Amino acid sequence: MTRRVISLNVNGAERSVQVGPLERLIDVLRDELWLKSVKEGCSTGDCGICAVMVDGKLVNSCLMLAAQCDGRRVLTLEGLQNDLTMKRLQGSFIANNAAQCGFCTPAMLMASWDLARHSSKPSTEEVKVAMSGILCRCTGYYQIIDSVKQGCREERR
Amino acid sequence: MSEQVSQLLDSLREKAAKGELLYIGENIARVDSLEKVLGKPVYTADLIPKGTLYAKLFHSSVPHGTIRAMELGAAKAYPGVLGVLTWRDIPGLNQSSAVLPDRQLFAEPVVRSTADILGAVVAETLPAATEAASRVRVEYTPIPANYDPMEALRPDAYKIHPKGNIARQMKIRKGNVEDGFAKSDVIIEKTYKTQFQDATPLEPEVGLAIPEDGGVKVIGSMQSPHHTQAAVAKVIGLPPEKVHVIQAITGGAFGPKSDETPFDVCSTAALAAMKYRRPVFCGLDREDSMVMHTKRHPFVISHKTGVTSDGMLVADESMIVGDTGAYASLGVFVIVRATFHTVGAYEVPNVKADSYLVYTNNTYTGSLRGFGGPQALFAIESQMEELARKLGMDPLEFRLRNMLVPGKKNATSAVMDASCGLPECVEKVVASSNYWEKAARYRDQTGSVRRGLGIALLMHGNSLGPEGNDYGAVHMEIESDGTVSVGTGLTEYGTGAISGLMQVASSILGVPLTRFKLERPDTTKHRESGPTVASRVVVIGGNAAMKAAEKLKGTLMPLAAQMLKASPGDVALVDGVAFDRQNPSATLAWNDLVAEAYRRGLNLKEEGFYMAPAAPWDTESGQGTPYVQYTWGALIAEVEVDTETGYYKVVGVHTAYDVGKAVNPAGVLGQIYGGTVQGLGYAMMEELIHKDGFVVNPNLGDYYIPTSMDIPAEFKAFIVEVPGPLGPFGAKIIAEPPIVLPGPAIRNAVLNATGVSVDELPVTSEKVLMGSKARPSPLAV
Repeated sequence: MTRRVISLNVNGAERSVQVGPLERLIDVLRDELWLKSVKEGCSTGDCGICAVMVDGKLVNSCLMLAAQCDGRRVLTLEGLQNDLTMKRLQGSFIANNAAQCGFCTPAMLMASWDLARHSSKPSTEEVKVAMSGILCRCTGYYQIIDSVKQGCREERR
Repeated sequence: MSEQVSQLLDSLREKAAKGELLYIGENIARVDSLEKVLGKPVYTADLIPKGTLYAKLFHSSVPHGTIRAMELGAAKAYPGVLGVLTWRDIPGLNQSSAVLPDRQLFAEPVVRSTADILGAVVAETLPAATEAASRVRVEYTPIPANYDPMEALRPDAYKIHPKGNIARQMKIRKGNVEDGFAKSDVIIEKTYKTQFQDATPLEPEVGLAIPEDGGVKVIGSMQSPHHTQAAVAKVIGLPPEKVHVIQAITGGAFGPKSDETPFDVCSTAALAAMKYRRPVFCGLDREDSMVMHTKRHPFVISHKTGVTSDGMLVADESMIVGDTGAYASLGVFVIVRATFHTVGAYEVPNVKADSYLVYTNNTYTGSLRGFGGPQALFAIESQMEELARKLGMDPLEFRLRNMLVPGKKNATSAVMDASCGLPECVEKVVASSNYWEKAARYRDQTGSVRRGLGIALLMHGNSLGPEGNDYGAVHMEIESDGTVSVGTGLTEYGTGAISGLMQVASSILGVPLTRFKLERPDTTKHRESGPTVASRVVVIGGNAAMKAAEKLKGTLMPLAAQMLKASPGDVALVDGVAFDRQNPSATLAWNDLVAEAYRRGLNLKEEGFYMAPAAPWDTESGQGTPYVQYTWGALIAEVEVDTETGYYKVVGVHTAYDVGKAVNPAGVLGQIYGGTVQGLGYAMMEELIHKDGFVVNPNLGDYYIPTSMDIPAEFKAFIVEVPGPLGPFGAKIIAEPPIVLPGPAIRNAVLNATGVSVDELPVTSEKVLMGSKARPSPLAV
């Protein structure tokens, strides 16, 4: 199988990587670019904990081929460490005990950040919908929902 | 010093002066929360170095058979493959078992389930290892298989293991049930069944082995590093000190990671690392994890229960059968815990229970949050509901008459003392749910959409009790910059319990948790502390941490007194500042105190060790005190059922737990929310389906766990604090219990809404509908 070089913007930096036709985005992010916040929980698009932003949309990076990302913009939690909205959400997650085992936390934060961009005061129902593609087995979601509502509110204060 | 800070200090000093606890009962951020929200590379798979090999396990494709031939040529020839490991490559013992030595790492010559591992392909990349593993061809001579534990119990059943199909038996004999039934006005006999539940930690089982000093370093996702060390050493044939195990930050566990699967992945990685002299990663993908790791035992529980016409329980006879699959694993203890909880949170004067842990050719079952409690309480709480209905008595009223309160005796004849907080728990949930008003209102419903309330009460034994000595060691060292470094063989895998343990130490020392750091559990540094199971970290480990902190305080306080020129009895340490109670303006900073201790060469390394008191019980009668204390709880669920379709939803959950003392209330609530939702999954949707020994739905598309859309809109959780005798400041355990009650409470709520008894978990809409159709008048309550 032939490999070819693709170019993509990852967390604001232009990157060129050599990929095979069946290589998944998650593997390029984790193994080539060492972005370990992207977690793998099922490999079938069911758990959502590999969620990253591609061209402004939240996607499961285990279901996307790396080659599909040629010329696109990819954002992971690592790329948002200086983003004020993300910092507020992270602080809110800590304050509300929203990270237990922490394995879904990066994806939950990405989904929350995506929500916070559009909504400064989301309802509980809106938060639930925003989180619905990501499984958490530890928290029962309640403390995550509290964190997201709080983090979004503080954003536009 | 800013005004805010000095005010804070004043309030803390006031607390200390009154002898109140510092930091206990406060929602202090966990020590591991920052690295988690930053997405730091701290989990096992994040730590794989470049140049690591991948080991892919392959497993049996028949439920029972003798291996006739194994064709490995195609796998070995696949590009990138270094080799294939089978039982022939094991230099030590081919064993991977927690309690009974009934399970091999790589099965030969007999496979007893489709979860039996046959070997591993080792390759340069994971895709190569995976592809090559699919090319292994095995031929089997089939052996008759048994998938039903009731069948496997029959004397003429095929023996799955040489000693027969009963892995463990247990009984309870309290009073005389025959006399009890003779005195009963109403007797009900019913059988209840529960399903396979998958724990589904989001991080599956993974291990990374790296050759080190003639031995191997193993980094993995696990609950019990010292047990893993022993298991790996056995397999690779080296002394345990040549196996250096470090628990990486672990992405959820819930029981299976205290069982045998971490042994499998770590032993395989270690075998390959020793053979190829390179780092090797062995991880399960989701499907392999759901096939190969231990699940919650399906149980068949029959109860015959007698009660007087005024609603007093007289006698209960139960038969409890647990399907352990092909291997016993920690199931030998699960069945014991289930049996001790057979009549739940009620006083029954005459109890007879016989339980059997039975081998079948299903995939094996073992440790999972609640550890036999969810099955036992589903059965007895369902039975309580049936009895109340037969008596025509309100189910809450019936429970109030029979539940355990101080002075009453449980199934083992242990007398409940003042630490029994069950009445307070019931009071909370009854008030919160507006039970009496709603129960009356829901009695006269018409129309197809109906509401119902369901109750379940909890008794949950604390401490390992019958499962072995319950101890823990905590190492604590103050570094020269004042950082308090804490290390223990007890592990954190998500609950926050280790932070709780450190919060206890922080309270004793008077130094905030922000000055503490946690060492990774490491078998070269930390003493064996038993398995991290049974939610025992804060209670047992907390006591050990308290001892270590007290020793350090014993060293530092006299020095502080000297430096403050105060009498030792007058010195207090609050929020990292020592001061003289007689002269509060004279203060000494923690860092300066520690620096002086270093200058004087004082010992600032201590270890605290705590062993729980013995929990004696008689194996013939099951009578005694198998648990040192109990956690209590109550849950009322409200459901809304569409009786025409069977579809229902849980609209409200009201729940209260007596945790003795909530060291960190947000952490306790996190366990209550999380455990309840996992229990809701068990109650409503989760079932790992086996067909002829094969798992039909080993993926998260077909095995449903609750999403954010499945949680009840109304969830009221209450913390009750009736101090217990065991834990620090009266703390009781909390991580496991909340998974227990949703099953029976939701089942009972559906029954009260529709008149349909679903006696087999999960309570799916289909079962509600079928039950409704089977009734002469579907809508009659």
